Amino acid sequence: MNEKDERYDIFSSSFLYPKLFDDIEEKILSPLSCVKELETKWVLEFDLPLVNKEAISITYDEGNIITVEAKLRETYCDENLNPKCEFHSFKKRITLPGDIDEKKIVSTFSNGRLTINIPKALRGHKIKIE
Amino acid sequence: MSQSDKTDNTLLVGFPSNGLIGTFTISYLVYHLKMKQIGEMEHPGLQPTLFIENGEIFGPIRVYKKDNLYVIMSDLPFDSELAYNFADSIIEFAKKNNIGKTIIVSGLESPNLDPKNPKAFGLVTHQKLEKILYDNQIPKFLSGTIFGTDAAVISAFRGSTIPALVLYCECHPFFPDPEASVHAITILSKILKVQVDTTEIQKKLEYLRIQHRNLMQETMAALQQQSERQPPSRMPKIYG
Repeated sequence: MNEKDERYDIFSSSFLYPKLFDDIEEKILSPLSCVKELETKWVLEFDLPLVNKEAISITYDEGNIITVEAKLRETYCDENLNPKCEFHSFKKRITLPGDIDEKKIVSTFSNGRLTINIPKALRGHKIKIE
Repeated sequence: MSQSDKTDNTLLVGFPSNGLIGTFTISYLVYHLKMKQIGEMEHPGLQPTLFIENGEIFGPIRVYKKDNLYVIMSDLPFDSELAYNFADSIIEFAKKNNIGKTIIVSGLESPNLDPKNPKAFGLVTHQKLEKILYDNQIPKFLSGTIFGTDAAVISAFRGSTIPALVLYCECHPFFPDPEASVHAITILSKILKVQVDTTEIQKKLEYLRIQHRNLMQETMAALQQQSERQPPSRMPKIYG
C-alpha cells in the first residue's frame, strides 16, 4: 500500500466517506456512503433516497471492487446548477483493501439506505500456546 | 443589528453536525415562522462562501428574529479553532440581546436507532432549564462524550450566566436525516409553544437527502478533523 494513497488508508476521511462526483453529462448522481471496518467484516452503507429496492444493482469485481447502481424512481432536478440539471440514477464504486469472502456478501435495503455486509476472508493457521 | 430590551428572549442555534439535524430543524423553523434575517456573522478564518437564492446574496452564518425569538444558523461546518470563535460570538450576541435562554439542536449517533421512531434527549448547562425537560417529557442525556462544535458551544455557555439547553435527536450520523429532524421540530415547537406544521418538510424528505449530500460530506470531513484532535476516550462519542 502506498502511504500517500488515501484510497486504502482506512483512517482517512476520503476512504471512510468517499467523495462525491456527480456526472452531469451521464445524469448520474454520486450517493453518500460510509465504510465501517469490524473485526470480521466490512460494512458499506449507501444513502439512496428516491430509489426502490428493485432498481438497485450491486456487483462485485476482482480487486475487491463493489459497484452500486440504482435508478431513481423519478428524475431529480438540481436547481442549484445553472442551467438546471436532471439526474436519473445513482452510481458509486468502492474498493476495499485485504481479502474478502465474496461468496458471503449480503445486503439489505431499508428506508432508502442500502447496507452491504462483506465478510473478511479468514486465512492462516492456528498457533499453539506453549 | 438592533439590540433588544426584552429579558425573556430565546435564541436558537443550529449548525451542521450529525445527520444535519440542527440545519434541517432550525432552517425549517425560520421558514415556517417567517422569521426575518437581521444580520450575518463573519470571521476571517471562514472559507469564503456565499449562497445565492433568487439573485439575492446570503452569507453562511445568518441571524434571524421574530418577536422575542432569535436564531443563529450556520450553513458551514467548523474546524476546531473556528468552533471556539463561533461559540464566543454566540455568547457575545446573547449578552447584547438579553437572551434568557438558548436552545441548540443537534444530532446524536445511536446504536439502537429506530429510523421510524427516533428519540430525543436534553442536556442543560444550568439547572434552571431542567424544568423545560420535565415539562416537555424530554429524557435527560445521561452519559457519553461530546466533542467538536457542540462541545465548544456548550463549554462557552457553561462558563457564562446564560443558560443553554441542547436538544439531541437520534439520527443516522453520516447521512442527512431530515426524517429525524421532524421529531426535533415537533419537540422544539412544544418547548417554544408555537404551532409548526411539518407537512411540508415531510413531503420533501427524500429530496432533502439528495440536496444536502455535499454539506453532509463537508460536515463529516470537519468532524473527522475535530475527532483526530480528541484524546482517546472509552466513552461513546457524540459527533457534533
